[in-house]
Amino acid sequence: MRKSHPVRRAVLATAATVSGIVLLLSLKPASDPGSAAAAGGAAPPVAAQSPQGGAAQPIGNGTVTGDAAQTQYGAVQVRLTVSGGKITRAEAVQAPKGGQSDQVTSSSVPRLNQAAVAAQSADIDVVSGATYTSGGYKKSLQSALDKARAAAGSGQGSGEDAGGGSAQARTVTGDVAQTQYGPVQVRVTVSGGKITKAEAVQTPKGGQSDQVTANAVPKLNQAAVAAGDAEIDAVSGATYTSAGYRQSLQSALDKAGG
Amino acid sequence: MTTTLAGGRAARRQTMRRIRPRRSPAVPLLLAVAAGAVAVLWLWWTNTPSIADTTGKIIAAGRITGLLAGYLMALVVLQMARVPALERRVGSDRVARWHAMSGRYTVSLVIAHVFLIMWGYARQAGKSLGDIVQQTITSINTLPDMGKAAIGTGLLFVIAFISIGPIRRRLPYDGWYHVHLLTYAAVFLTFWHQITTGNEFAVQPAAKTFWYGLYGVVTALVLWYRIITPVRLNMRHRMRVEAVIEETPGIVSVLIGGRKLHRMGAEAGQFFRWRFKAPGMRFSSHPYSLSAAPRPDMLRITVKAIGDHTSRLRELTPGTKVWAEGPYGALTAQRRSRGKVLLVAGGVGITPMRALFETLPGASGDITLLYRANSTQDLALWGELAKIADERGARLMYAVNSPDGERPDISAESLQRKIPDVDRHDVFMCGPPGFAQSVYEALRGAGVPARRIHHESFEM
Repeated sequence: MRKSHPVRRAVLATAATVSGIVLLLSLKPASDPGSAAAAGGAAPPVAAQSPQGGAAQPIGNGTVTGDAAQTQYGAVQVRLTVSGGKITRAEAVQAPKGGQSDQVTSSSVPRLNQAAVAAQSADIDVVSGATYTSGGYKKSLQSALDKARAAAGSGQGSGEDAGGGSAQARTVTGDVAQTQYGPVQVRVTVSGGKITKAEAVQTPKGGQSDQVTANAVPKLNQAAVAAGDAEIDAVSGATYTSAGYRQSLQSALDKAGG
Repeated sequence: MTTTLAGGRAARRQTMRRIRPRRSPAVPLLLAVAAGAVAVLWLWWTNTPSIADTTGKIIAAGRITGLLAGYLMALVVLQMARVPALERRVGSDRVARWHAMSGRYTVSLVIAHVFLIMWGYARQAGKSLGDIVQQTITSINTLPDMGKAAIGTGLLFVIAFISIGPIRRRLPYDGWYHVHLLTYAAVFLTFWHQITTGNEFAVQPAAKTFWYGLYGVVTALVLWYRIITPVRLNMRHRMRVEAVIEETPGIVSVLIGGRKLHRMGAEAGQFFRWRFKAPGMRFSSHPYSLSAAPRPDMLRITVKAIGDHTSRLRELTPGTKVWAEGPYGALTAQRRSRGKVLLVAGGVGITPMRALFETLPGASGDITLLYRANSTQDLALWGELAKIADERGARLMYAVNSPDGERPDISAESLQRKIPDVDRHDVFMCGPPGFAQSVYEALRGAGVPARRIHHESFEM
């Protein structure tokens, strides 16, 4: 039964917690692993997965179903009907159900289906009020496209990442850039020495990040296509995502260039 | 087959083996808790490759405090799950103090978490600290499960507020207790935003599984030990009031009958939380120690009338149904490490001491009971204590105020004078806090090591 000292205990606990947190924060590298070494340290090697087939490569006919993408309201899974190398129909075979989700799904999925057919890629806008469903939809759509291309690619049986052929369109995926909110990874389609398409295959997720990502990434994609290089402006309110985007974009362009 | 040796080393060894103390699992448990906290921090560490600037640091600090708060929240609930290992081995009193301490710490972390995250998000949106309230409202409206979390956090703050010492003392215990039960709702409501908005859980499925596991285990333990176990206990034993006996002015004993009461596993020195199904007493449960070793057909508690509840006890009529939860408490013979034992009782603190005085194994002269009261009239149960002392050859001493109201001298010197080998005893103590503190200091002064002073205190 030692004497208790509540005030002393409170002061000690506060001091220990604050100094522990400050220590942890100060031990983290002060941003941006701008050097390749730092990025390579945390990120998995990506080169292996980069030659994935480009937009110019025909995609096989028939239907293809993407992987189910989990969102916090449920799974989203997209099925594409492809004919003559074009997406002729997109539909969601799985979408969030129950409660509020029924409404959100019924209002957003038809629009996403249309957008997918119109864009012929996974680079479609997020439907407002359905951020998570849109995110999942895009993910599953991308996976369906990848599968369709892989099927077509194996039919053709050729390495499209032959390197250097700037006249031919090719798709290159940059290294993963770590930001404090999560990894960012950019895939660009380069044709005739120009960026014809830029998209983010990995972006920060969770909490506030979903909003920031949904808002910033489409703008960054556009900016990359417009600029033709990695010299793009940061989107305000998404400083980290922008920085990661630029870094991954630069790495993709480096790979495409040589 | 061994033959029994009379006297000598073998017999002594036999005695020592019987009374080898069971170690309290407090230290390994605290180490496990610390290891869990390290794992939680490690989760943050691996998910955060770098921190760019001040905003990043603020949000990172918010995440760390949030993760720790979420982790500790589960443990704060666990501490009140009435897990036998905690209640009977660590001791209900100590666990209750842990609960209060970690509860205060957790609420502090929650406050820091809310403030830091909202400040960080405000800065991220290009706003300043002054817009933190606006940012909080925006986040509650836009982020998933944040509405629930906001209600839960509000509840938590109310509960924390009424648990502040001076405020709590002004509230009736029952009212305070029932509001405090809302903690379960608060924990449930705040759980979901951790999973859906927590960065660490969004990117790491393993972390999410771990979190569900932690909260799942705690929920299961609460359901099992706070609901199912008491229901089974009371279905089996069907306790009723047999008689109420006035021991001294203001102190009553309640005799409780039931079926196979020895099968409840209660030991001398332990207590139950009692609920009497009589008007005005139905909804509150109170801890009272057994004042005699449990018998197959009878339990006895002895209570001093100091509050509402205790005063009503004397009006209990035979046949009143009794709901009991327990046994709890670690002040039992298992704590003993020596052959010689000194029991110290202050006032109605005699109850567990009386049970131990009767049942602690020991030869003639091994057991001593020191009983402090205001006057000889206040020495409740004195008759039966004297009888036990006679039968067992145990020593029984009392200390009361002198006729002019002077307090008896209980100091290191007086203890050594009365019990020359006091430093070779295990001491069990029960009494009001001031009394316990002064006796503790006297005992330490007389050379009794702290680890051999066993004491139960429900002071927070």
